Amino acid sequence: MQKIMIIEDDVAIRDELALILENEGYEAVSVTDFADVTGQVIRNAPALVLLDLGLPGRDGMVLCADIRKRTGTPVIVVTSRDSAVDELKALSLGGDDYITKPYNVPVLLARVRTVLRRCGGAREADILEAKGLTLHLTKGTASKDGRQTELTRNELKILARLMSDEGEIVSRADLLETLWDNQIYIDDNTLSVNITRLRAKLEELGLPDYIKTRRGMGYQI
Amino acid sequence: MTFKSFLSDRFGRIILQGIFVLTAVLFLLATGTDPGVAGLLLIAVFVCFGLTLTYDYRKSSKRFKELNAVMEGLNEKYLFAECAPPSKDASEQALFALFRRSGKSMVEAVSEAQAAGREYREYVESWVHEIKTPITAAALICRNISGESRDKLLRELGQIEAHVERALFYARAESPEKDCIIRQCSLNRIVSEAVKNHQSLLIGQGMRIETEGPGSGEDGLMVYTDAKWAAFIIGQILQNAARYHGDEPVITLTAKTLGKQTRLSIKDNGIGIPAHELPRVFDRGFTGKNGRTRGGSTGMGLYLCRKLSAFLQIDFNITSTEGAGTEVSLTFPAKENLTKL
Repeated sequence: MQKIMIIEDDVAIRDELALILENEGYEAVSVTDFADVTGQVIRNAPALVLLDLGLPGRDGMVLCADIRKRTGTPVIVVTSRDSAVDELKALSLGGDDYITKPYNVPVLLARVRTVLRRCGGAREADILEAKGLTLHLTKGTASKDGRQTELTRNELKILARLMSDEGEIVSRADLLETLWDNQIYIDDNTLSVNITRLRAKLEELGLPDYIKTRRGMGYQI
Repeated sequence: MTFKSFLSDRFGRIILQGIFVLTAVLFLLATGTDPGVAGLLLIAVFVCFGLTLTYDYRKSSKRFKELNAVMEGLNEKYLFAECAPPSKDASEQALFALFRRSGKSMVEAVSEAQAAGREYREYVESWVHEIKTPITAAALICRNISGESRDKLLRELGQIEAHVERALFYARAESPEKDCIIRQCSLNRIVSEAVKNHQSLLIGQGMRIETEGPGSGEDGLMVYTDAKWAAFIIGQILQNAARYHGDEPVITLTAKTLGKQTRLSIKDNGIGIPAHELPRVFDRGFTGKNGRTRGGSTGMGLYLCRKLSAFLQIDFNITSTEGAGTEVSLTFPAKENLTKL
């Protein structure tokens, strides 16, 4: 389990972030005492630091440079200052990535994964499996017992979302969000069409009713 | 100042001098001077008066030309009294001393107003950054709620964010050079950033977006601009499209190159803008018929768009047919044509 350190002075954000990261399978450590932050980073030796720039007492930019210099831990800078000038400053001081508040969570998590992967951490899973179906993300195919079918980009993203939340109900709104996060800007009707086609393809693989409709709530695998 | 007005200023004096001379001539004639001599004297005196008058006129009109040139050369015209070359004339010196006093108090008032404006701008900026923390916290907390109220709350938070963002850019537009960095950016990334910023509004309104041409990933078209600002501008247009949508709303984004320039066109099939309102949509605080009937219009979005576009040298064009839709085209400048970097 990879350890992520959250350096953020707003309690509400800190707690929610920790919760989100833990749900994603990371170990979240929060800094609550901002006296010797770099020392705490060294002691905890996290795989990644999420650093808020607007900390009490100390200039976040200086802190960012300090952490990078003394530990070499990758730093994602989180800030509400969002001008190009601030971004340039943060990155030139050694931040590995830069996210502005208010951020949306999928984007934050994607950035975390990217930085961890780039810095030699775990590779992102290429294969998803759920209830007998195997999904190859990079090949864009779904297979079952040696039989294989090709999926379109939209179908792939829909199926990936449903399979990674196996057992849970995913609402249509959540599915749309996921698609939009991946630059697929479709509306509700197009989503229905995509789901219908996806079901037809899965049926060919011998998996009818693989995606269950939960009336008024969403879809479920 | 013309010679005529110069004379009319001295009308009383000339009449008085004439009366004196005539009296003197009458006196000379009465005391038995030869009329010819008196006539000669009369002419000589009038010539003298004429010459002095012309000399005075020449001198003062030269002085005015000099002062005018100084005024033309000044950037801050209110500093005129300080910069004018000193005069030898005592009454003009006294006049300028008064001007300088008045000018000084004006300079003080101007710099006070400037400082107040700057402080206010700085306060707005820092306030905007402060408010983003609770908005972020609220959005994160929303993730724990499920169902319809979560989506509604997220949409409202999105609205708050959009308003806050406009306030920030309004403050920034006052001195754009401070936060603006023009560099090569991927148009595709700018567009997806803009869409992402308004995602919940767009999804909530049932919008669909079709993209043509910008290419995907890093291979797409590149433009020279400030990505944050450009995303803000595109975001305003997307918001308008979402707010004034019609049935089966679609936004079509098309990017193409025009020589060395790049044009992004954003077309919707919404309710459109009435032709007579179109010339005024960029006015500060202008809300059209649609804005008034649907509500939520601030009259600020397009005003800011044009102001920021002008700074980024983006050609911002809007055409619309009422009932059929609106098309906005943004033409990004060629690298060579950018005058500020």
